[in-house]
Amino acid sequence: MRLDEAVSAMFETALDLYRDSPRATKWLSHHAQRFEDPLRIAVAGPPRSGKSTLINAIVGEEIAPIEVEDGNQVFTWYQDGPTPRATVYSPDGTVGELPISRLSRRLRLMGDRPAEDVREVVVDWPTRALRHAILIDTPGIAASAAEVWREADAVLYLTRNVPGMDLDFLRLGQENPIARAAPIGTILVLSRADEVGGGRIDALASARQIARRYRRDIQVRGLCQTVIAMAGLIAQAGRTLREAEFEALAALAARPQAELADHLLSADRFAALDDVGLLDRLGLHGVRVAISLIRTGCATQSALTAQLVQRSGLTELREAISQLLVDRRHVLKARSALLALDFVVRMEPRPGAPRLLVELERAVASAHDFQELRLLAALGSGRTRLPEELTEEACRLVGGTGGDPAVRLGLAEDGADPAELWARGTDAVARWREHAASPLFNQDQRRAARTVVRSCEGLLADLASAPSPVGGHHR
Amino acid sequence: MALWLDVLDDTIRACAGYRRADLANRLRRKRAQLLDPRLRVLVVGEPKRGKSQLVNALIGAPVCAVGDDVTTALPTVVEHADEPRAALVTSPLPAADLAITGGAAPADRTAVPIERIAERTGRAAGAGLRGEFVHAEVGIPRALLASGLVLIDTPPIGGTDPVRSAYTYAALGAADVVLLVADAAAGLSDAELDFLRYAVRLCPYLLVVLGKTDLCPQWRDTAGRDRDRLAAAGLPATLIAVSAALRLHAARTGDQSLNAESGFPELIDCLRRDALGKGERIAPAAAAVAAGQVVEELAAPLTGEPDDADQSPAADALAELRATQRRFDELRRHSARWQNMLSDEIADLVSDVEYDLRDRTRKILRKVDDYFDHADPRTVWETFTPWLDDNLLDAAEANFRWLVERSHWIARRIAAGFPTAPGGVLPDSTFWIPEVFESMPQLDAPAVGQFTIGQKVFTGLRGSYGGLVMFGLVTSLAGLPLINVVSLGAGALFGGKTLRDEGENRLQRRQAAAKAAVQRHVEDFFVKFSKDCKDVGRQVHRSLRDHFTALAEDLQEELVESARMAKQAADSQVALRERRAVEQHRELEGLRALHGRVQSLVGPVPAIPRQRSARSLVA
Repeated sequence: MRLDEAVSAMFETALDLYRDSPRATKWLSHHAQRFEDPLRIAVAGPPRSGKSTLINAIVGEEIAPIEVEDGNQVFTWYQDGPTPRATVYSPDGTVGELPISRLSRRLRLMGDRPAEDVREVVVDWPTRALRHAILIDTPGIAASAAEVWREADAVLYLTRNVPGMDLDFLRLGQENPIARAAPIGTILVLSRADEVGGGRIDALASARQIARRYRRDIQVRGLCQTVIAMAGLIAQAGRTLREAEFEALAALAARPQAELADHLLSADRFAALDDVGLLDRLGLHGVRVAISLIRTGCATQSALTAQLVQRSGLTELREAISQLLVDRRHVLKARSALLALDFVVRMEPRPGAPRLLVELERAVASAHDFQELRLLAALGSGRTRLPEELTEEACRLVGGTGGDPAVRLGLAEDGADPAELWARGTDAVARWREHAASPLFNQDQRRAARTVVRSCEGLLADLASAPSPVGGHHR
Repeated sequence: MALWLDVLDDTIRACAGYRRADLANRLRRKRAQLLDPRLRVLVVGEPKRGKSQLVNALIGAPVCAVGDDVTTALPTVVEHADEPRAALVTSPLPAADLAITGGAAPADRTAVPIERIAERTGRAAGAGLRGEFVHAEVGIPRALLASGLVLIDTPPIGGTDPVRSAYTYAALGAADVVLLVADAAAGLSDAELDFLRYAVRLCPYLLVVLGKTDLCPQWRDTAGRDRDRLAAAGLPATLIAVSAALRLHAARTGDQSLNAESGFPELIDCLRRDALGKGERIAPAAAAVAAGQVVEELAAPLTGEPDDADQSPAADALAELRATQRRFDELRRHSARWQNMLSDEIADLVSDVEYDLRDRTRKILRKVDDYFDHADPRTVWETFTPWLDDNLLDAAEANFRWLVERSHWIARRIAAGFPTAPGGVLPDSTFWIPEVFESMPQLDAPAVGQFTIGQKVFTGLRGSYGGLVMFGLVTSLAGLPLINVVSLGAGALFGGKTLRDEGENRLQRRQAAAKAAVQRHVEDFFVKFSKDCKDVGRQVHRSLRDHFTALAEDLQEELVESARMAKQAADSQVALRERRAVEQHRELEGLRALHGRVQSLVGPVPAIPRQRSARSLVA
């Protein structure tokens, strides 16, 4: 049975089991509904770690943060919608809709609502970037950690540097045994990478190296799928740079090098030249990078923004989000659903619940999707190394390039000959079985090979049960 | 001599008076540290705040390891030297402590070229063995350091490496100034404020430096906000915003205005002032904190609520007294009861035993009656006598055993009412054995005469006479002589019958006589044995009464004695506590005076509250 079918079946069983408990029923139907919703990605991290900037960079518009009274931050959900609007949820359960306005480039909720009256805000914003995922901006306080892990299917955790990060927050996400069995929903983002090394011109490259090193760090790799360095301000600027700002930058770049260098020494000195708020938008390092880019050939706004986006690490982050989170959304959603089911079964034990628990555990243990995901992340981050030609094949076989059987077996998606598929599949199984037992491989590598074998076997099983069986030899 | 030194010495003496060598040592170390003209500045901070860069910028030389990722692994002590020199030091003491003792502790120094020392303290640096500390020592000729300033760069606190940050915590006590480096972009975090709150208890002079102002346009707002936060937290810290990058750039280009912009001149002024004014400003405050904490610790056992260990002996004595009194009352209540109980029980026992004996003898008599309805005493007497003796003896034994058991039961029952005394309260079992068990009284055979031949002939003849005459007369009518065959036959028949009748009569008489004899015998036995039993009962009564009376007296005496002792103990405890309270009060007065002097070092403060928690002493 496929994972999502198993989850749906389990929800049905649970709803039947708990039909006399209104609380459990409410919880279960909420999560059964959530199982159908788009993926929820929470952006978490300490205050001033660049959460809102990251959201703006991903969406490509300045929509975060939404400020309520007193500059307090609350949970803010950003989802795709036909028109911009904000829905405000109060702690007492009332729901209200408020118009949004821009106030000095920031979105602001109109209407006077005291901060304690707002539990969370849901912002509908028409954008393609949010089609497959809902982004949740979270207040950077420790008290909100539990809620973050409860509400989100995946988490982007932002920190200025790895040693200073809040390990408790990340460990909280792995408290539940089910969550531990599939530690797949977290990407660690080294935000404010532009401040590395005192904002040197090559700060981003250095930050990228640091990120690469932490991907292999034993302490870090147990907590997240990958580590990505990113300069939020530069990314945001690259996505939302205005013409006036570009012109100001171009004018600066046209000044003599020696004169400008003095001004670029510190934020205070640059402030004298800054008419359009470039410092706020790009940061001092961003200004330095942008000017040097213009000088070295990015003469147009589009060329500059493309370079900024590329250098900021946003491209890498979006790829990681797309490959590790969005493409795998059914697994992540299934994981959240299993956690929700586990919660209700443990909170309200009753006869019949242990059987459900056993089913849950079986689903988690046997969920090959989870294992594939872990292997992909391990190969991608270099945690598990296979010989180069095998790495590529392994990634393909476990679905790194797409879930379709033909794609996995290295053929075009449409019109593949079933007989050839079968032949390739059996060939792959045989070869990877050998790898799995190869004495030349270390334990990590053999485990990886076993996972690939299991994927191939799953492929063959799918092929065998396809409506038009190929030949009789496989039966 | 300075006032603070007097106070510190007095406090050390007070420690000795309280036999607190540990506290005295702590203060002696502090004294040495404060008398040392050098000013040790511990540069601390969270990871990636620019601690090492700050030290480098202060002295204008790259002696501390800096890098894009977490770098500093070993502390570096930077001090003045006429010639540039650098060394890696392995010692059993942490760097800051070593700086106080001035190299008196054994240390293993490896000289390193000064331009390479930064590499040796960086991320790749290995820690020392267990129980060893490794740090770098750098001597460099600088005007700033010449005034006695010692800068100690430390590994980050609060990072993911608790071992390294532990060093910093340990070094706090040996620092004169704690310089916390924070980030101008983020401002002071809650964790940093918590650290300052902790540090101020060990080193009262705090400096907070907001670094990296060059990157952050809003650093002035941040600095203002952080000053407010420090004030709100009650932390006496000076906050200075600097940019190490600008300072280093200025040093490279020789640009004085840039140097002024970097904020470093202010920081250097501040540090130089501190180094020169160590004796006047820093030492009194540090001495006040250290001495105040020690006085607080000395006073804690005096002012604190009398703790459990103190209180328990008195409480024990009182509890003992109360327990004794309870047992005394119990004993008195029981004394009134047990005598009545004993006589009642013994009376019951005697009547029960008598009834039982009567019952048993009656059963025997019934059996004897049945027996002698048929048996001829003359033939069975020999076997009957032992049987009767056995039965009677059995009955007597059973009866007597019952008496003994019941006496024991009574003794136990009465004993149960007494408060337990050591050695048990049951009397020894002594019973007087009735003499029946020694020798049964003899049963005399019933006096039944012998049925002799003569008597039989005579009786037979007497019977046959009637028959002979009766039938002789009848047959004489028929002409036969009076004595004929018929009459002779009838005479013989009659004689035989008479003889038989006489035999039966005699048997019945014998049986009746035997029954009477047995009855008399049993009655005698009963009377005698029941008298014995009554005697035994009375004797049991007497001995139990004597025993328990004596026991009650003993117990009473014992309880009176222990009550007296418990009372004495409680009294002496109370007296001791009162004496100790007076002593404590006197000592506390002494400490309070000392504390007052300690506080006068730093200004007016509230006095020690009377008999309140010691925590408020220094608060």
